[in-house]
Amino acid sequence: MSSKKKINKKDIGKLLSRWSQQFTVLAPSMESGVATMAEWDGKDTSFLDWYRNTVIPPKANFFPPMEEMFSFQKDREGYHIELPLVNEHKQLIFGIRPCDAKALAILDMTFEEAYEDPYYLAKRNSAVLVGLGCTNPYDSCFCTSLGISPAESTDVDLMLTDIGDQFLIEEVTDKGKELIAKTSGLKEATETDEARAKEAKETSHNKVTRKINTEGIEDKLLACFDDEDYWEKIAAKCISCGICTFLCPTCYCFDINDELVKQQGARFRSWDSCAFPLYTKMPMENPRLEKWRRVRQRVCHKFEFYPMTFNVIACTGCGRCIRLCPVNWDITRVLESLPVKV
Amino acid sequence: MRQGTEWEPKLVGFLCKWCSYAGADLAGTSRKKYPANIRIIKVPCSGRVDPLFILKALRLGFDGVLVSGCHPGECHYQTGNYRARRRVAITKKFLEYVGIEPQRVQASWVSASEGGKFTEVVAEVTKGLKEIGPNQLFSQERQGDGTKAT
Amino acid sequence: MEQRLRNEAKALLEQGKVDWIIGFESGSLKFATTPLITKDKNDADRLVINPFMVNNLANFLTEVKGRVGIVAKGCDSRSIVSLMQDNKVAREDVVILGVPCRGIIDLSKVERLVGKERDELDDITREGDKVAIKVDGEKKEFLATEALFDNCLACEFPTPQEYDILLGEPSTSVVNKPAAQEKIEKLKEMTPEQRWEFWKNEFSRCIRCYACRNVCPACFCQRCFVEETEPQWVLPVPRWQDNLIFQIVRNIHVAGRCTDCGECERVCPVNIPLRSLTKEMYDLVDELFHYKAGMDKEAAPLLIAYEYAEAEDLFR
Repeated sequence: MSSKKKINKKDIGKLLSRWSQQFTVLAPSMESGVATMAEWDGKDTSFLDWYRNTVIPPKANFFPPMEEMFSFQKDREGYHIELPLVNEHKQLIFGIRPCDAKALAILDMTFEEAYEDPYYLAKRNSAVLVGLGCTNPYDSCFCTSLGISPAESTDVDLMLTDIGDQFLIEEVTDKGKELIAKTSGLKEATETDEARAKEAKETSHNKVTRKINTEGIEDKLLACFDDEDYWEKIAAKCISCGICTFLCPTCYCFDINDELVKQQGARFRSWDSCAFPLYTKMPMENPRLEKWRRVRQRVCHKFEFYPMTFNVIACTGCGRCIRLCPVNWDITRVLESLPVKV
Repeated sequence: MRQGTEWEPKLVGFLCKWCSYAGADLAGTSRKKYPANIRIIKVPCSGRVDPLFILKALRLGFDGVLVSGCHPGECHYQTGNYRARRRVAITKKFLEYVGIEPQRVQASWVSASEGGKFTEVVAEVTKGLKEIGPNQLFSQERQGDGTKAT
Repeated sequence: MEQRLRNEAKALLEQGKVDWIIGFESGSLKFATTPLITKDKNDADRLVINPFMVNNLANFLTEVKGRVGIVAKGCDSRSIVSLMQDNKVAREDVVILGVPCRGIIDLSKVERLVGKERDELDDITREGDKVAIKVDGEKKEFLATEALFDNCLACEFPTPQEYDILLGEPSTSVVNKPAAQEKIEKLKEMTPEQRWEFWKNEFSRCIRCYACRNVCPACFCQRCFVEETEPQWVLPVPRWQDNLIFQIVRNIHVAGRCTDCGECERVCPVNIPLRSLTKEMYDLVDELFHYKAGMDKEAAPLLIAYEYAEAEDLFR
């Protein structure tokens, strides 16, 4: 029932400029060959040609690789703590993919439901997500196996679909509806536009060819949880680096470190990874000393433990962990090769 | 820095306890003058100095680092200074390539009897540091977020 | 060559000469290979030899227990020898299946050549000193020197230096040293301030995933200095200062072990030109001490060995 709008592709620059007055607009940006969501420079819309997905997932815009939690000074009276300035500017992320938007919804479960993380929520609650449907998914993408469409999303505020020279704009949330109401220069979409969008969505859906079978996955994983030989074999080539976890849009582990130099310092939090042998070494020993236990943890956390807690698989099939893995360790191959049939 | 006073570089010296540290001691007991810019850390052997120490000192804001040990052939442990020599040589050259001024990383051989040489070395190194100015290599903005995103 | 490798590997396992085979098999993405680490002789039929064998398999040698048959290109064989010099593995526990290498194809370069990403390409083939790329049904030819990794273009020893079985005739590499050295020469033309600024900028992207370190066969410390907490040399927080110190010290620590296999740069997810550091160290070591990593299993490692007179001009 929501009315649909459209915009010419060549007018995207104008649209982003307009939104820039109200928001810090983040858009796909390529720097030194690395695609990220970065502050839009005010003119460049060339990303519409090259953008498939970012290397650094948009979680980094809410849960950055490192952030200062507070700074402190020490004097005779003790410590004086200063909280960081809250950036009053609201973020508008333009072009987020449905998989990554879903990932933020999954992160919300940890950072909002399980406990309230003020650093994450300060950025997250004020943000507007403008989704952009995929037209050219990677061969490593498998979102459709996880109930996600590469061109549709309920986790964004507005959703854009490529219909040739134009984008169809759909309002997904009230926030999105409000934004559209305040945005001038959009045209009403026709029935033909909507039909085209529907077709475009189906086309991109069919372009995702990598599949996994998630039916009964929790039970399957539970059944082979203790199969040490299997996990050892699967883990053999893993090099225990942090790529798959750091660049996973749903991984949220972090480490906290203090730095004190000459009576002043700060507390930082930064990404941590269950793939690291030293993970959780700070408070205690790492219970997963052997590599196969760490590899099992990553698989099971996403496909067994997270579903047990939040009733959702903590994987959105974005494929980053497959594309970027130094040894081509492929989670879809692993899930397909589990040594049990349930 | 108070107005009117000249900036004085801070230099950390890793001195081997058998030779250079004893040399520094001799300079002191002989009442020789050398710049007070050096902060001495005694190490069992110049071979103990991990290049990491040098980087850490620069990271902490020291303007220069001096590694000093026994002359070649005179190491208390036979070969420690030979090993130090290779390590310091590649460190010096490599840091220069990365963009750290060569004056900031210095090395010398000073024996226990060379109190005079020790004062000369410290004076020369300090002079070199005064010429290139304070170490601001790592002091630029405190935040260095891993992504470009805001 | 591939069939012979499979036969040899199978025989080694069958005859009990090795407990493990470490080689490459086809990966799950286009043009990808993936390490195959197995005890099962039936897996030997999955072994491949092709111009996409990126990994330096020496990295896995220290991970398995027992005797190992390992596939090695020129640079990998040197990494294996280097591990022997450091007493990490014993010569008699390793059967080196040497592959004379003709250079490995850099998919990032291929992507730039044709303006398409790797999964959008139909085929990539190596034909003599050419690389043919088929895209949208059309075949385009390029010089191999345009499509191989920089480190391959600088390769001095494409044929393994140490082997038990050599799979094929010794090869000569396709070399283009100026091209391989271009980024480094550019840096050397800059002032020290500009160079520092350059690295500061590059390392502000680093996310400290440690892929560069973990993929490196020369980085074998049980506990890396970056992870020490007493004392805490650097914070495990991706600030450019800490990132840069990590990488500088890593380079110094692996001096004389680095064989310029280029893996650190290849795996970096944020494209930091790490080889511009490692290769300079590789050359420095050669220039100062006439030392090349992994050439002689009997030789003392670089930072243990010494000559009575060397590098004296750097000391006061």
